Amino acid sequence: MEDFRFFIEVLVGGLLSGLMYSLVALGFVLIYKASGVFNFAQGSMVFLAVLSFVGFMELGLPFWAALPVTIGMMVLVGMATERLVLRPLVGQSDTTLLMATIGLAFIIEGVAQIAWGVDVRRLDLGIHDEPIMWLADNFEILISQLDIAAGIVAGLMVVALALLFSRTKVGRGLRAVADDPAAALSIGIPLSHIWMLVWATAGVVALVAGMLWGARSGVQFALVLVALKALPVLIIGGFTSVPGVIVAGLIVGATEKVAEVYIGPYFGGGIEGWAPYMLAVLFLLVRPEGLFGEKIIRRV
Amino acid sequence: MNLQEQPAGGWPYAPGGGDGATFQKLLLDHALLRGARPAFREKKRGIWHTTSWSDLADEASALAAGLAARGLKRGASIAFVADNRPRLYATMSAAHMLGAVAVPLHQDAAPEELAAAIRRVGVTHVFAEDQEQVDKLLQVLPGCPALTTIVYDDDRGMRHYRQPELVSYDTLLRQGRELAAGRREILLAEAAQGQPDDPAFLFFTSGTTGPAKGVVLTHAALIKRARAAATAEGLGEADVTMAYLPPGWIGQNLFSYVQPMVVGYCVCCPESSETMLADMREIGPTYLLAPPRVLEALLTQVTLRIEDAGAFNRSLYRLCMGAGRRARASGAGSAGDRVLTLFGEPLIYGPLRDVLGMSRIRVAYAAGDAADPDLVGFFRALGVNLKPLYGSTETGFFVATQREGDFRHGTVGRAVEGVEIALSPEREVLVRSAGLFREYHDDAEATERSRAGDGWVRTGDAGHLDEDGHLRIVDRLEHVGALADGTPFAPRLIENKLRVSPYIREAAVFGDGREATCALIDIDPVAVGRWADKRSVTYTGHADLASRDEVYGLVADCIAQVNAGLAADPLLAGAQVRRFIVLPAELSADEGLLTRTGKLKRSAAAQRFAPAVQALYAGEGQTPDGLKIRDAKTFAPTVAPRRAGRSA
Amino acid sequence: MNMTMPIQTPQRAFAVGAPILELDSISLRFGGVKALTNISFNVLEHEIRAIIGPNGAGKSSMLNVINGVYVPQEGSIRFQGERLAAMTPTRAARMGIARTFQNIALFRGMSVLDNIMAGRTLHMHANFLEVAFRLPRARREETEAREKAEEIIEFLEIEHIRKTPVARLPYGLKKRVELGRALAAEPRILLLDEPMAGMNVEEKQDMCRFIIDVNDHYGTTIVLIEHDMGVVMDLSDRVVVLDYGKKIGDGTPAEVRANQDVINAYLGVAH
Repeated sequence: MEDFRFFIEVLVGGLLSGLMYSLVALGFVLIYKASGVFNFAQGSMVFLAVLSFVGFMELGLPFWAALPVTIGMMVLVGMATERLVLRPLVGQSDTTLLMATIGLAFIIEGVAQIAWGVDVRRLDLGIHDEPIMWLADNFEILISQLDIAAGIVAGLMVVALALLFSRTKVGRGLRAVADDPAAALSIGIPLSHIWMLVWATAGVVALVAGMLWGARSGVQFALVLVALKALPVLIIGGFTSVPGVIVAGLIVGATEKVAEVYIGPYFGGGIEGWAPYMLAVLFLLVRPEGLFGEKIIRRV
Repeated sequence: MNLQEQPAGGWPYAPGGGDGATFQKLLLDHALLRGARPAFREKKRGIWHTTSWSDLADEASALAAGLAARGLKRGASIAFVADNRPRLYATMSAAHMLGAVAVPLHQDAAPEELAAAIRRVGVTHVFAEDQEQVDKLLQVLPGCPALTTIVYDDDRGMRHYRQPELVSYDTLLRQGRELAAGRREILLAEAAQGQPDDPAFLFFTSGTTGPAKGVVLTHAALIKRARAAATAEGLGEADVTMAYLPPGWIGQNLFSYVQPMVVGYCVCCPESSETMLADMREIGPTYLLAPPRVLEALLTQVTLRIEDAGAFNRSLYRLCMGAGRRARASGAGSAGDRVLTLFGEPLIYGPLRDVLGMSRIRVAYAAGDAADPDLVGFFRALGVNLKPLYGSTETGFFVATQREGDFRHGTVGRAVEGVEIALSPEREVLVRSAGLFREYHDDAEATERSRAGDGWVRTGDAGHLDEDGHLRIVDRLEHVGALADGTPFAPRLIENKLRVSPYIREAAVFGDGREATCALIDIDPVAVGRWADKRSVTYTGHADLASRDEVYGLVADCIAQVNAGLAADPLLAGAQVRRFIVLPAELSADEGLLTRTGKLKRSAAAQRFAPAVQALYAGEGQTPDGLKIRDAKTFAPTVAPRRAGRSA
Repeated sequence: MNMTMPIQTPQRAFAVGAPILELDSISLRFGGVKALTNISFNVLEHEIRAIIGPNGAGKSSMLNVINGVYVPQEGSIRFQGERLAAMTPTRAARMGIARTFQNIALFRGMSVLDNIMAGRTLHMHANFLEVAFRLPRARREETEAREKAEEIIEFLEIEHIRKTPVARLPYGLKKRVELGRALAAEPRILLLDEPMAGMNVEEKQDMCRFIIDVNDHYGTTIVLIEHDMGVVMDLSDRVVVLDYGKKIGDGTPAEVRANQDVINAYLGVAH
């Protein structure tokens, strides 16, 4: 029974952090879907977003004022990126676009640190990283309040965006633009609007992800590396699927925690870092388009 | 007008059916007894729309008023060339309210075929589906002086048609509603005038063996047959069926008009023939009619999908289907088979039933043609209660079927309540019941020929009756013959077995008076095409595909399998297929080689392919027009003679 | 079949009306290459107007000028009598000009239904926030779009593939879906770029029937480019013939067929 409770704790912890991976991965998916670009700068945007948020609070803005200000700033950053970096490169090869986003990543990281400094900061969301007493008392299961809250926020956001991009005209426009820009123009879908919308949304998603991660592990440059966790999620879920990102996030989160606890000791720990990548490689071998990715269909 | 209210002077007849039932009275009953329940569901533009019984009665009354104003008289005939839609059946009801006779025709009939039928019966009104049918009718209109009105359903493309004979369904309904308002009693009285012995339908028989004949059936005959069958199967108003077969065929009319009128169940009309399977999955019918042709197509689909599946799934499927067939179809299942079926239920049977839209089926009939026992066995193995149903247009369709709990493999079961079956000395199946046809329209001679005296009707089918009264149909009497060495020969039996193979769409088998059985094979282009693609066999078209040696090999394997089955039956072992040709083009109804319901017209095929058949008997090589002739593998008889008593 | 019905019946559902589109002295150059030279013709409301010519005659360039993809160096375009300066594809779409493409340009990953609904974009006005929070206008527009899309699906007889991703469809059906997406915009003018290219006889017949039906049922003015002369002659009210970027013929199919320049231009082309 004790073992089982421990397993549940590990599993729930894994699933919750998986949702947060999903959130980061979502930023990639949005931009990839709309413009076919793998946005290397997504991690930097997460860093910039939460650093600015904390910075605004240090400047004396209360929480509820800093939030909209940062959202506004991220929308502007997203739109500016679209206008200044990607639009001039329309029609260039995927590699060119990827290089552009790598450059963009360095610029964003640099600007963020110039503007706000390099100190590690704490972010207090008013939710503590302590076990939920009710669960601990009744079931003797220890699950952090912060994890639960972060998981819920991330989950809600992912689901809301999944619905938005699958069931509405915004979603259709997005997919249409990604599939065939010329045809999208001919039926009156405004390309630039869609791209700006997507970059702005990606900016907001980055802020939420940054806040959740920042509250757990401090606001610091290492947040840029969160993006690396999103990579296996993307490979498993498929680069173009919002639901895929949710499921893959859960799989990755659960796998790494469970593997760390139960298999880790045999390898001397640290398995958490590479287990997701092993899983991703397996998927690449068996199902290269990912769980929910659009199947690569070739008609002869 | 509100039919759920008692008319001021009371009903002009007693509700509740009884022996005085006519279709118009039954409809009014339903409007009264279950007015809010669904009579029809129709999928249109992605959404299911419901027509309740009171909607249907209401619409039919209005249409009746409209049709009466346009001169549809008691005893006159109205033809239908249309899709399975609530509007078709509402118009049919309207015609019956006025005492007219419904003449369902096939939509794919050529203009001259339509004209011939219209002239022979003296049709005055036609209900046509769309522009295509209207164009055909207008083309032959000058030759049909009696035809005064064409009602069309779909007004697409009809905007600039100005012919005075034309009226759209919507216009007719609107005019009818204006006319009907305040004249309800007159309409009810009109409906009450009809007598059970009035003719209700005139069907043209499929005519596998000659020109089509017009079969006249009365209200009473159809209602009694449908009621007996419904009682035997325990059908009720909660049952649901699909209407997807040609409405020119009696079977479809029985299931989507006659029997719902008797029982009050709901008929669902799919969006189009292409969406049928998907729509059926959504509805989950409880009661289904399927000709062997449709069942063969489903089996082909399943077989092809399984062949694409992984090795594990394939062997699991084979294992479960084998056990299912033994335990549920042939009645020879061991205890191990029964255990296997328990495992097969969630793994194979259940999912497959879902895919086929058959998960809620209580009763399904294989009818319209003889179904091969293996074909029926497949569905029974899945746990679908599929039973062969024997009957014909002349005999009111419900003649014999299996009773619940008394399934006997390979037979069509016992006579339905109220039907007597006997065999003539020539082994022709004779039927006597209250559901027999009244006459062939305007053909007293043919009517006379079909009577065997004492109320018996000749079916033209050869059969066996076992000691428990289970009927086994062999073939059409005129096709039954013998090979030169005296081996009995029933071509349909062998053709049915060949058609069970997914790669064979149709087959024509010859052998009467010859030294051996030979076959013309029509391949299923989709299934064989996929088979060829998977093996990288390239081809340019049907004819090329059919001529490939690889395809000949495939067909030879299919035939060998059938021959192996035949070898196990001492009666049939001598009739194994010795030699075959793969035909370069599909057999079609337009060429007159199939009937409109898709049955082979053997004599026409024999005539058309006479040189090929002659070449078949000359040995391996080529026909005069260059088709390859190949030998098939045959087997020595494998089983000791059948136990006495199983075959009459 | 409808194919046998005469198209030019006196009681046409929508009588051919005044010019809706007038092209005046259009010239288009790519660098030094003259794609179109001094071309003028008009399109009457509710008519089926064909642009034909051998390969490389400038047919597609002409369509792209009307659609705003190319801006001609000289000449003017009038739409309903109003002179248009700079056309862009988006402006063309707003004004009611829809098109299909020679090499099918569908949204591959999306279902048939989603493709056709995407064609409704210009009839949907709810902004991002209204859509995101499912406010009444966004919901109403979504329902309307679905209804319209279903009407078109029924019209084009593609109910059975409504949920199928278009990438999986055979060529002929893709063309039909593309027509459906263009129709969803309820266009005044429909530009069809070689709607029958690469089809077999049966698919061509189907497509012809749908083009005539669209014109007859919705009254849509149709401008179509076609390489196959036979098809065009049966289908069109009037035909413009281009050769090497110049107009060499303009008139009813019968007139065009009798035109010596046209005969010469086509004799050089193998069929």
